Amino acid sequence: MTERSESTVTPQLGGVPGFRDLLPAEAEILREAQESLLAEMRRWGYRHVITPLVENLDVLEVGLGPEQRRRLFKFADAGGDVIALVGERTVPVARVVAGKLRSAKLPLRLCYAGPVLSTDQGRFQQRRETYQVGAELIGAPGPVADAEVIALAARCLEAAGIRRYQIDVGHAEFFHGIMDAVKLPPEVKAGVRGALAARDFVALESLLERTSLRSAEHELLLRFPALRGGPEILAAAGGLVRNKRSEQALAELAQVRELLITHGLGDVVNLDLGALRDFDYYTGVIFEGYGPEVGRPVAQGGRYDRLLEKFGRPAPATGFMIQLDLVSEMLTQGSRPPALPRLDASLTWSGNGLATAVRLGSTLRLFGMRAVVDTEARSQAESKAWWRAVGAVNLIHCHSESSVAWTVRGQRTRRLPPEQVAGRLAGGLS
Amino acid sequence: MTAQVNVSIAVPTGALLAGALRLLARSRVARLSADELGRQLLVERPGVRVILVRPADVPAYVDHGAADLGIVGKDVLWETPGSHYELVDLRFGECRLVLAVPDKSRLNGPDTWPPLFRIATKYPRTAASWFESRGQAVEVVRLHGSVELAPQVGLVDGIVDLTASGRTLRENRLRVAALLGSSTARLIANQASLKTRTQAVQAVISKLREGVNGAG
Repeated sequence: MTERSESTVTPQLGGVPGFRDLLPAEAEILREAQESLLAEMRRWGYRHVITPLVENLDVLEVGLGPEQRRRLFKFADAGGDVIALVGERTVPVARVVAGKLRSAKLPLRLCYAGPVLSTDQGRFQQRRETYQVGAELIGAPGPVADAEVIALAARCLEAAGIRRYQIDVGHAEFFHGIMDAVKLPPEVKAGVRGALAARDFVALESLLERTSLRSAEHELLLRFPALRGGPEILAAAGGLVRNKRSEQALAELAQVRELLITHGLGDVVNLDLGALRDFDYYTGVIFEGYGPEVGRPVAQGGRYDRLLEKFGRPAPATGFMIQLDLVSEMLTQGSRPPALPRLDASLTWSGNGLATAVRLGSTLRLFGMRAVVDTEARSQAESKAWWRAVGAVNLIHCHSESSVAWTVRGQRTRRLPPEQVAGRLAGGLS
Repeated sequence: MTAQVNVSIAVPTGALLAGALRLLARSRVARLSADELGRQLLVERPGVRVILVRPADVPAYVDHGAADLGIVGKDVLWETPGSHYELVDLRFGECRLVLAVPDKSRLNGPDTWPPLFRIATKYPRTAASWFESRGQAVEVVRLHGSVELAPQVGLVDGIVDLTASGRTLRENRLRVAALLGSSTARLIANQASLKTRTQAVQAVISKLREGVNGAG
């Protein structure tokens, strides 16, 4: 400990703007959700990797667009290298697969959990540190692998306790094919990409109206946000596209949809041909998961077949990440918020009851109960006040080795031998 | 995911309110008076809920999903881009974002601009990016009101501000030197609402679209 300084300035108790303290109620929900997600991933054969919070900037830049690069916290390492705090965790996993795991046979199934940081607070949340849990399936091409990660994402949301959700599945190549085929001057095409990236359909419409050229793809671009629904949307779009890339994408989507029905997820899957994502990164099937009450996607993922080759180990890959913060937001806002874990027993003592209290506490914990042993002696009356402050289901006051006073939820107090109390609590009796 | 069937629409206070309410009525989405909405801030009608918020807050309500749809001026969207979808030009609330300088100023086209152009504005982001895209160094002073005053007292060389008729500019002995953009009211939508409650939300969007087109 440093010596107390003379100054009367108190340190900033609020922390750095954009970085939050998660207090017990929220932290426990978040951690429990994280464990449920990772446990589901393990059940699907995904192995856990932990990558550092910092990476060399040139590693992270490999997989990120200019906007994402700008948002990285960067600083200089002792040797003069520029390093950065991770803003997402797929690129570090790819680095590991191409590096330390290069002799491991593909396909590899890996999962991760951890914070990601951004210099940008976002407009409304003021959060620069958020938590992500993700899974990557590396070395597996094709719809079977695509369907696997989508199904895994869905089962993860269920495992975390989200009852109502839906998954929208689209395809990056559908958009690339349209942009290849649409007959537009290059500067208008650039404008169309810009408008779609900004989700500005007013600008898109006016750009397309000004051009005299007409093609089937024109119509598709104008209807982009409405190109979603069931299998009928594939037929409708198939009637409009006249290019190989988009047709191939539609065929793959049809397969993925069939496979997801086999996975038992037909009810929650929609097709969304107008999904607007980072199309420089994604190369194939893409998807987003939405839950109730929250206006943003809680899960996002897709195929990124060109990332691994940038690290010298070309391999197809697909994966997703779940925003843990949004999961916990959904759980707490839901109609039935999760029951907060409570203390099962408060153990107080007086006289020579300390040893009894400590032993009884150990026994209860063996049975998975949460028990707190008081740190100072208290009379039985004082114990009640302490118990109210701590808030446990059971109050057990130990005043000797052979007998304890047991009160359940503030009702009648009974005197029993400690082993009988342990037995009744462990048996679920009260 | 159909528990909540009501579609909520955020409408802005101020200049766009009357036009927004006319559009909602003409589109047969909801008929309500500015008076009623102003008193209650939140009004329920069969199938819809209309909420009244400050213009600059409309994107926040929509991006967060507190409102499925929002009516907002394009000028607000310039300053606060977000994750919403901008769907329809509602064709009312026209105004222009202009660069204005004092009548007596020698500043006109880009060739007359000083090495560092000092401007005052309520639109710092839009103004800065407009000047930067023209290779002009600019110092933006962010003001919250009475922007017209700033050049007259020598705080800045010019202002970037919205004007509908140009009257305020004339009254303050300012003239338009350049047009940065034209703004009208827009319909924006929450990305998740479009996906999770497609039918109800799209039905309202279609009605509003028809209401706009019907007005000619």
